Amino acid sequence: MTDSQRRSPAQRGMSLYAGTVGVDGMPAGCRAVALTTDESQSTLTVYVPMATSRDLVAGVAATKKLAVVAAYPPDHSAIQLKGTTTSVRLANDDERALLQDRVDGFAEELHRLGYSLRAVRSINHWPAFAIEMKVEEIFDQTPGPKAGTAIR
Amino acid sequence: MTIRLSDLSRCFQGVTPSIVVTADARGVPNVAYLSHVHYIDDRHVALSRQFFNKTARNIEENPRATVELAEPLTFQTYRLRIRFLRSEKSGPLFDSMAMRIQAIASHTGMSGIFKLIAADVFEVESFEKVEGFLTDAAGDPSEVTSVDGVRSEIRGLQLVAERVSRADSLDLLLDSVLESLDVYFGFEHTMILLEDETTKRLVTIASRGFEESGVGSEVQAGEGLIGTVARERRLLRISGLREDLRYSRAVKRESGVGAAEIPLPGLPDAQSALVIPLVAGDRLIGVIAAFDRDPLRFGEWHAAYLEILAGQIAFGIERMLDRMFDRDEEQVTERTAPAPAIVPAEGPRRTLIYYRNDDCIFVDGEYLIRNVPGRILWKLLGEWQRDGRTDFSNRELRLDPSLGLPPIKDNLESRLILLRRRLDEKCPEIRIVPTGRGRFALRATGALELIER
Repeated sequence: MTDSQRRSPAQRGMSLYAGTVGVDGMPAGCRAVALTTDESQSTLTVYVPMATSRDLVAGVAATKKLAVVAAYPPDHSAIQLKGTTTSVRLANDDERALLQDRVDGFAEELHRLGYSLRAVRSINHWPAFAIEMKVEEIFDQTPGPKAGTAIR
Repeated sequence: MTIRLSDLSRCFQGVTPSIVVTADARGVPNVAYLSHVHYIDDRHVALSRQFFNKTARNIEENPRATVELAEPLTFQTYRLRIRFLRSEKSGPLFDSMAMRIQAIASHTGMSGIFKLIAADVFEVESFEKVEGFLTDAAGDPSEVTSVDGVRSEIRGLQLVAERVSRADSLDLLLDSVLESLDVYFGFEHTMILLEDETTKRLVTIASRGFEESGVGSEVQAGEGLIGTVARERRLLRISGLREDLRYSRAVKRESGVGAAEIPLPGLPDAQSALVIPLVAGDRLIGVIAAFDRDPLRFGEWHAAYLEILAGQIAFGIERMLDRMFDRDEEQVTERTAPAPAIVPAEGPRRTLIYYRNDDCIFVDGEYLIRNVPGRILWKLLGEWQRDGRTDFSNRELRLDPSLGLPPIKDNLESRLILLRRRLDEKCPEIRIVPTGRGRFALRATGALELIER
């Protein structure tokens, strides 16, 4: 089992990014601030800031295709989950604390690598969209010759 | 305010990983982290391709992609919409991108495994600051270069050049170059390595600002950052070195292959490096390297200035070495001082062991010097012990076949400097003191035990 498989994409401190493609074939993406999955990683919810996710949400609405990478900054181990979105909704108030906690966790991880804690903590995370996806494929995304190897 | 791509220079230095989103022909997106997005001009960027991965396959099916760059100080992000134009597998762009990867790969023991396959060139169709990404206002992304700073560096360039041309000994030239880089450019951690003509290895002959001087340490051509610069004879400027190393280590871990990592010379936690070959004509003289803990320490103008300076330093060193060779037999009486008598009984007792099989000398069990400088020291100590000699000349060293000096361009002066500096550090009881042009004295205090094995 690789580092990327051992690590949960939903854990604190992960760097998250969501990508999609529009009807015109133009890929779009935005940094995500939090992610949750069920135990078997068959479904996930990824949270993206409303302020920065216009193209992503438009693409998802049109094609329903989504890819999410969760990377652990200290060692670049990463996993990519791909699938079809099932819904896009506004994040609820009771989810806000989770988003704040995940941004803080990401900022702390990057701060250990030398980045400004204040700058990273100021990543806008609210209000946010919650995009729910049925996970169809999972790939090891750690840089190297095996990047893109299907895990599931 | 309109932002140009060139205003985002810090985003292109590889300090913060970038992200690329592509899609295949079926419209399935793919997200990948990139170690480095290379700025070509305000309309073009290049992405490095080290593996034929999903991103590369997708680009063949759908040439459009979105790249997100982050400014390493403010963390403000920028989004580029790009379209694939071509892959370059040779030429200046490829060489420039490959050099950085080769150096990092060599450093992490991944030579030949982690390498550039192609530089994929994209047209930038549009780009924008991601508004609302941060709740705190982001700083101005443009490079902050005060006019005063540039002026002082131009002045510094002139002054270093003057010092190089005025130096009347190689010793003085090396030290004044490193001191000037510190004073005028603020480069606090620097070193000069010269190529040994016989072993073709680079040997550190002068350094400044490191905890340990490292004088005498050797690098094989092609090995690590410095060795790669020597082999390629091209300047290397790396920002965000730690990020590059982390990326390369991830690749190494995933590959499950590779050799041991080479420690960074002098400053193990360096975050940026500027390494420049010293080339005179078609001859590699050595390498000058500067390291810093600031990931953005070395700007493009530093690289440009230092490259100009490196040319002058290289010719200065070559001129000095040639002059020393030509004036071997001159006597410069005003600088000649009588060598004092040796006082063997005073000072601590030191045991020097010379290992014949690898020309290596150890002092009290600690490595001192090897190869030609080792043979020279052993000859001097032997004659001192047998005959009580203290005065020697460069000429007699050159004529001694047992030392193995090449007949021309023997770098004797630099070998003597290296020997002198190693003795100063490791065995100050033995000193080599210049007494005139082409002449020097051996001074020793304390009881020396010489053993040959």
